[in-house]
Amino acid sequence: MAFKIASSPHLTQHNQTHTVMQRVLLCALPGVAVQCYFFGFGSLIQIILAISVALLCEAAVLFLRKRAIKSTLNDNSAMLTALLLAISIPPLAPWWVIVIGTCFAIGIVKHLYGGLGQNIFNPAMAAYVMLLIAFPVQMTTWVAPNSIALHPVGLLQSIQYIFTHMPQASIDSYQLGVDGISMATPLDTVKTSLSSGLTMQESLQNRIFADGLPVGWLWINLAYLVGGLAMLKLKLIRWQISVGVLCSLFILSSIGFILNPDSHLGPLVHLFSGATMLSAFFIATDPVTAATSLKGRLLFGALIGILVYVIRTFGGYPDAFAFAVLLANLCAPFIDYYVKPRAYGHRISH
Amino acid sequence: MLSGIIFAVIVLTLLALCFGLLLGFAAEKFKVDGDPLTDQVEALLPQTQCGQCGYPGCRPYAEAITAGDKINKCPPGGTATMEKLATLVGVEPEPLNQIEESTIKKVAFIREEECIGCTKCIQACPVDAILGAGKLMHTVISDYCTGCDLCVAPCPVDCIDMIPVKQTTKTWNWQLNSIPVTLLEKEKPC
Amino acid sequence: MLSLLEQIDSGTLWQSPGGIHPPQIKSLSNTRPIARLPLAQEYVIPVPQLGEQAILAVNIGDLVKKGTPLTQGQSATYLAVHSPTSGILVAVEERASNHASGLPVLSCIIQADGLDTWSLLDSHQDFQPLSNAEMLTRIQAAGIAGLGGAAFPTHIKLNPVSDIELLIINGIECEPYITSDDRLMREYSHDILTGVSIIQQLIGPKRIIFAVEDNKPDAIKAIKKALKRHPINSAQIRVTAVPTKYPSGGEKQLIQMLTGQEVPSGAIPAQLGMLVQNVGTVFAIKEAVLDGKPLIERVVTITGERATTPGNYWLPIGTPIEHVLSLSQTPKKPPQHIIIGGPMMGYILPQASAPIIKGTNCLLLPSDNEMLVEQQEKPCIRCGECAQVCPALLLPQQLFWHAQAKEYDKAASYNLQDCIECGCCSYVCPSDIPLVEYYRVAKSALREQSKDKQEADLAKQRFDARTQRLEEEKTAREAKQQQAASRRKANVTNKDNDVIAAAMARIKAKKDSSPSTQEITAENTAIAHTELAQKTDKKAQIAAALARAKAKKAQMATALNTDITSPEKAQLNANEGAITHIPVTDSPIVDKKAKIAAAVARAKAKKAQMATAQNTDITSPEKTQLNASEGSIAHIPVIDSPIVDKKAKIAAAVAKAKAKKSQMATALNTDITSPEKPQLNASEGSQRSITQTPVIDSPIVDKKAKVAAAVARAKAKKAQTTAAMQPQDRVTTENQTESSSEQTPVTDSLSIERPVLDKKAKIAAAVAKAKAKKAQAQQENKD
Repeated sequence: MAFKIASSPHLTQHNQTHTVMQRVLLCALPGVAVQCYFFGFGSLIQIILAISVALLCEAAVLFLRKRAIKSTLNDNSAMLTALLLAISIPPLAPWWVIVIGTCFAIGIVKHLYGGLGQNIFNPAMAAYVMLLIAFPVQMTTWVAPNSIALHPVGLLQSIQYIFTHMPQASIDSYQLGVDGISMATPLDTVKTSLSSGLTMQESLQNRIFADGLPVGWLWINLAYLVGGLAMLKLKLIRWQISVGVLCSLFILSSIGFILNPDSHLGPLVHLFSGATMLSAFFIATDPVTAATSLKGRLLFGALIGILVYVIRTFGGYPDAFAFAVLLANLCAPFIDYYVKPRAYGHRISH
Repeated sequence: MLSGIIFAVIVLTLLALCFGLLLGFAAEKFKVDGDPLTDQVEALLPQTQCGQCGYPGCRPYAEAITAGDKINKCPPGGTATMEKLATLVGVEPEPLNQIEESTIKKVAFIREEECIGCTKCIQACPVDAILGAGKLMHTVISDYCTGCDLCVAPCPVDCIDMIPVKQTTKTWNWQLNSIPVTLLEKEKPC
Repeated sequence: MLSLLEQIDSGTLWQSPGGIHPPQIKSLSNTRPIARLPLAQEYVIPVPQLGEQAILAVNIGDLVKKGTPLTQGQSATYLAVHSPTSGILVAVEERASNHASGLPVLSCIIQADGLDTWSLLDSHQDFQPLSNAEMLTRIQAAGIAGLGGAAFPTHIKLNPVSDIELLIINGIECEPYITSDDRLMREYSHDILTGVSIIQQLIGPKRIIFAVEDNKPDAIKAIKKALKRHPINSAQIRVTAVPTKYPSGGEKQLIQMLTGQEVPSGAIPAQLGMLVQNVGTVFAIKEAVLDGKPLIERVVTITGERATTPGNYWLPIGTPIEHVLSLSQTPKKPPQHIIIGGPMMGYILPQASAPIIKGTNCLLLPSDNEMLVEQQEKPCIRCGECAQVCPALLLPQQLFWHAQAKEYDKAASYNLQDCIECGCCSYVCPSDIPLVEYYRVAKSALREQSKDKQEADLAKQRFDARTQRLEEEKTAREAKQQQAASRRKANVTNKDNDVIAAAMARIKAKKDSSPSTQEITAENTAIAHTELAQKTDKKAQIAAALARAKAKKAQMATALNTDITSPEKAQLNANEGAITHIPVTDSPIVDKKAKIAAAVARAKAKKAQMATAQNTDITSPEKTQLNASEGSIAHIPVIDSPIVDKKAKIAAAVAKAKAKKSQMATALNTDITSPEKPQLNASEGSQRSITQTPVIDSPIVDKKAKVAAAVARAKAKKAQTTAAMQPQDRVTTENQTESSSEQTPVTDSLSIERPVLDKKAKIAAAVAKAKAKKAQAQQENKD
């Protein structure tokens, strides 16, 4: 009588990779919903497009790499990457933007480095940066929030815009944000205003801000914050990275605001505009590309926050999470190397 | 103009001299007395002293490698040792020139009732792992035996066997192999 | 700042890092009292120390009682083994072990007689009068090992080198499912406390902490209740409920929770002045010291969804698990796995025939959906959960990568050796990576590596020592040789002529048939027996022929002497073989005999030369070479026997012819040729007729016979080309002859008195040389 042998432990918890990814996706839903509410169905279409392209692309790459296709697709990681990329790009960006971006994220950033767990850069952010540099116009033509838009975009219209072309007005109309559909993001608006000699107070007078806070973006960020807290509650992520990001961003922006409120955005604007909450909870916390130890993660998060503030304030780009995350990704192995926990029984005092 | 050129030449020469002296001084002063290559090579060799490389022991082979001999002459070390040697000496790895011996460690065993006490194996043993005297039965101290095979051929009555070292619960190395094996099978394309 | 003991007294508990909270599932088995199972037919008691540190104390076939020691040992780490029941020790053989590998291990098989009668027990009313040494002896004799799983000999643990301030009684039992300690504490709390007081007397700690996990309230209650009634000093002892967390039962984790201290890596708790004992062990100590009962049974939890009657049982050590299964398993789909130990650290038993051993605390019989769903390893997503739960604060991820890439050195640099294999990391891993398995493989690979390194170092050391020794021997030999050469030179210049003259004179004297006074006794007797003076002429002829032969040989010998660096003695012996029988040929009995002797001697001499040639490049004890020559010497006296038949004569002639013919062939080949056989037969016949005084003691003869046999075997091996039957025949015949021939006094004296022999050999060599010169001269004269 002989038995099959397996190593201990024979018990495991049932939190597996695919369920983790699935739950992260679910936690992103409130944010996605709010984003759709403010910017129309464009984001939804982009998400569907991105997910299908991501799955196809992953299947193709796995086929080429001669790996198990079904089980790998089941881990939901490609879906999450696609979702994050899709909600990061402008909702009405042409279809090929998201297709190229997704293929780049999955095929190059993820699989060329060895697939899930092996990539050094966050695939969604790497793809976002690639798109931003390759297609700057398409990537900065954001949509005006529905509440203040002259012509809110419907579902069919969105499909039409995405798959044919956007009735693109001239660059200046987009600059002024008067064509009724496209509009610069709040951070972009501020940057443009500041560079054209306006003070911060004047910049915030733009109709994209209400009471000094960005219209729509505030709610989107709050929704992602809720999703992020849910993830913390579900123990899908640890608090270190998110807290690191938000705290460093908050502290730096507060210091800047106190020192010179005329040229610096307030901490609340920093926290609730752009991709702050999305990045702090959903993007920077990607375990594959982050530091691993708890202390390391706190450092990793803080580094992202600092970089974001520096680029937002002094750099040439209005929002900086993609760059900050990628730069921090580069530093992750370095952080891991120097922030090793002391193993049991290795206390120096003995 | 000309004086400028001459001046430049002089300055450069002086500088070159200074740095040359400095470098020379540093080279002398901070000389690293690393392990001689032979010692490093020897440390990689398995020390079975079996002579299968054609040299009378591991040290001579290490010396030969340092002198430029091939690195693929050590069957007991196997491919692993060869690769380490290749990295150390800085040459391309090459396949072993003999069939690699099975990785199972063996030790010599003398069938004692047949031993005639000829002491030939004692003389052949490179590590003095055989105990015995003339006309008295010999035995192998298995803890010292390197499994080099050298005692087998000289035995006039063929009473020496190479016996694989038996695996016990103490030496077992957790090759549960069920888990990795099933995985490998499943990794193949569907 | 409070001192540690004060903090402990105030009930402070510390945090230990990591840990998990797996489902407990203890109620499955902890509701019933500890029961017993019917006796098995056969018990298998592993005796791994047998042959190394222990010897068998009973014989196979002996009747053993329950508690009879099966082994005896002296060393400190020796762990006594006892018979768990009465019966007959039927065998000591290798049986499947209760180990993750299932590799066979030497075991005593006891056929139970069903009576289960105890051997005489040496019980004590009270342990107080016993000295520490006595108690330790009793503990060692009882074969008590840590019952928590590690099975480390308890008598060593209880004899620490440093002072123990804090004794911790480990009643944590943090593994899910297992309840054996729980039940033991509930039912035997008084006995356990007695055990604690025994340890208290042994090591005298300042404080005793009885640590129980807070998920066992009944056990805590029972211990507290017993403490009130027990004579033990309850001021020193403290029952602490530890929050439930796996793996708080680990020695290091428990110490951290109770004292906030960490056991340094690679150290043992005793270095911190602490000692941890499992409750089961404490109970066994009480049984051993007071009742004199050895450790022959333990409480085992049988649990899992497949168990029909989950609960705790007193199972004798050595009970085959098959037997337990037949009584407690749902007979459904038999080939299902059994886990020995808990679900976190237990291992799957490969063979159900393996026995219960001292460290077996649980038999887990899970159903298929209960645990161990076939899981596929997925890529690590670096989630870092493993690092959060690691109680040893390691980086399981990094360890995993290095272990997977077989970079074991790097894994070791991440403190792989501090991993306690608790399985927390694998438990939380979302990618289902069997991390612990990787670590175990890496650990054993590291162990292997360090062993190989050690062995290589040892081999190198021994090789260097040997090389040095050989070098020294060589120089010593060269010096000796030089000395000898110079002496020889001196001899040649001064005494050579004298020697030749002396030899000539002797031969002349013999020709005149006047018996020399300086001949050996054998010769004397021979001469005394005969008066065949008329054959002197013939004898002289023979002598001349012999001398010629000798000359040739001597030349060869000298040639060898110059060529090779082997000890001279080899050649001397070769010469000796020939020379020792010169007196024989001189003897006037039979000329034929002399001829035979000559032939044989020649053959032997050649053989001896062969031996020397073989030995040329090796340096061995001189005895080796003597070996070769001795055989030849042994033969000669046989030929001395007065009865010679025709056969022998023919044989001798043939042998001579052959010898001449096969100059290029090896001497050994000549030896093998069949003609020698009749000759040997002849000598055998002659042997019977000789009535010799048996002066030699038999052991020597036996040994010699053995040696001779082996030599014969060697020859047989070399003669593989000849007919298959022939060597066998030869072996037997020669065996007989040689063994009988040893009995002649000549051989005896030769082999016993080595110095004499050497001297003789030298003399013989000198004589041979002289003869050779003479023969040469004669030849020249003839020419």
